[in-house]
Amino acid sequence: MYDIERLENEWKQYRKKKLKPWYIGFLVSLVLAVILIVVFVNGKIDFNAFKHYFQTSNDPIIFEASSGNEQESKSSVLVNKALDRLETKENIINDSMITVVEKPVKKPVNILVDIPVLEDTGTLTAGDIHQNKPKVHLDIVESTSVTAYEDVEKRFMQSHDIDDALFLARSYYKKGDYKKSEYWALETNKLDENSEESLFIFVKSKVKLGLKNEAISILTDYLKVTNSPEGKKLLYQIENNKL
Amino acid sequence: MKSRYEIAKNVFIDSVDIDDYIDLNSSVTAYQQLRHSMDKPLKMILLFGKPGTGKSILLNRIREKLKHQKEIHYFDTPAINEKEFFHKLFKVLTKKDLPSNTEVNFSALNDFCKNLRGKREIIILLDEAQMYGPEMMEKIRLLSDSRAVKFVVSLHKTEDEDLIAKEHFQSRIWEVIELKNATIEDQTAYVHKKLLKKNMFEIANSIKEKNMKRIHKYTKGNYRECNKLLFTIFEICEYYDKNDPSKLNYTKIPNKIIEMAALKLGYIHV
Repeated sequence: MYDIERLENEWKQYRKKKLKPWYIGFLVSLVLAVILIVVFVNGKIDFNAFKHYFQTSNDPIIFEASSGNEQESKSSVLVNKALDRLETKENIINDSMITVVEKPVKKPVNILVDIPVLEDTGTLTAGDIHQNKPKVHLDIVESTSVTAYEDVEKRFMQSHDIDDALFLARSYYKKGDYKKSEYWALETNKLDENSEESLFIFVKSKVKLGLKNEAISILTDYLKVTNSPEGKKLLYQIENNKL
Repeated sequence: MKSRYEIAKNVFIDSVDIDDYIDLNSSVTAYQQLRHSMDKPLKMILLFGKPGTGKSILLNRIREKLKHQKEIHYFDTPAINEKEFFHKLFKVLTKKDLPSNTEVNFSALNDFCKNLRGKREIIILLDEAQMYGPEMMEKIRLLSDSRAVKFVVSLHKTEDEDLIAKEHFQSRIWEVIELKNATIEDQTAYVHKKLLKKNMFEIANSIKEKNMKRIHKYTKGNYRECNKLLFTIFEICEYYDKNDPSKLNYTKIPNKIIEMAALKLGYIHV
C-alpha cells in the first residue's frame, strides 16, 4: 500500500496548481469589471462616440431637381430632413445627390439687422455670398462626435456654406446650446434672408435665452411681411409658453 | 472478508489470460479481420500497434478459437537465440523433439516445409516479433515462401519509428492489421464488462461517464494503462474503505481518487 498521506498532500498541491489559472482569471475579470463600472459611472467614456465607428446608414437620401415655390419648399424640407439625420445618424451624402435649386428672387426680409445684441456680423453680405457661391455643399458625414461640430465651424469659416451654418444652428439648438444656435441662425440668415428655418431657430433661441419679448417682436415683423402659417404657429406657441 | 475494492482491484491485474478477453466493437473487428486474412493464401500477416492495444490477447484469442480447426501455434516470447527458435520450430513442424547435441539445418528445414505444401497448413503466431533480428526475419520469410507455413507477426509500433516501414517488412508483409487505442465508448464498455464479468455491479455503476472521460484522458485509451490506473484507483479505495470510509462515496468514484491514482502513476504531476 502506498503512503496515502503523502499522496493526498501531492493531490492538494496538484489541485492548487490546477485551479490557479481559474483564480487568476476570476480576479482579473473582477478587477476589469470594477474598472469599467467606475469609468462608466464617472462618465469618462463617451459611448456615443463609439457608436459612430460601427453604425452605417443603408438608406441614402436622394434629392431631386425642382422648380417653383412649392418645389422649393419641398426641396428645403428634404435638405432639412437630411440635416436632421446628420445629427443622429451617419448618413453619407454625396455632392452628386444634391441638386442646387434656383431660389426665386424675393424682397429681402432683413429683420435681424437692427438687433444690437448680435456682435459677429461678419464681413460678407448675403448678396455677395449668393453671387460667389451658389452651390450647396453637403459633405457633413459621420458627424456625431463633438469635434465634428468644430470641424464644420472651421469649414464654414472658409466656405461660408449656408447648409453648414444651418446645420450648426439646428444642431446647437437641439443640443440646448442656445447662444450658439442663435449665432449660427443669424449667420444663416445673413447668407439667405429668405431662410425661414434660420429665422425660426433664431427666434426660438431667443425665447430659450429668456428674451421672449424680443423674439415676439422679431417674429411679428416677419409675419407682417410674409404671413407665414408656420410663423403664426410658432408665435402662438411662444405667446402661450408652449415651446 | 475481502473488501469489494480488493476484488475489483484484482480484476484489473494485467494479463493475457484468455478468460479476461472482452468483446468490444474494435476488438471484434480486429478479430474478424485477422481471421479473414488467415483464410487467404497469404504468407505473412503483420499485426501491429502500440504496447497495450491488445495484440497478445488477440493472438491468444485466435489460437483458442482455431486450435481445433487448424494447426496453429503461438510463440509468446521470442527465443533467446536462433538455435532455440529453430528447435522450437522443428518440434512444431515435425512433432518430434530434436535429439540432444544436434542442431537444425535450416536448408533441410526449408526443404521439409516445401514438402509439406498441400499436405498441411501450419499457422505460427509470433508475438513480440520486433525482438527478432533481421537474419531471423529473413529465414522466417524463406520458410513462409514454402506456403506450408503461415506467419502472423505481431509488432510494437513505437513512437520513434514506424516498423512497417522497415525494409524487410515492407516487401514481404502481405496483409497489415493495426490495433489502435480504444475510443472512450470502447474503454467504458471494457471497464464495465470486466467488472460485470466478476458480478461487481455496484462498482461498475459507481464509475460514471465523467470518471471515464478522465480515465480515458489519462490513459489515452490504452488498455494496459487503463488496467494500471483502475488497479491503483481501487487500491486507494480499498485503503479508504478500511481506514477512513468517510472519504469514500460508494455510489460514485470521487475525482480526487482518480487524480491521486494518476499522480501515483505519473500521468499528471504536481
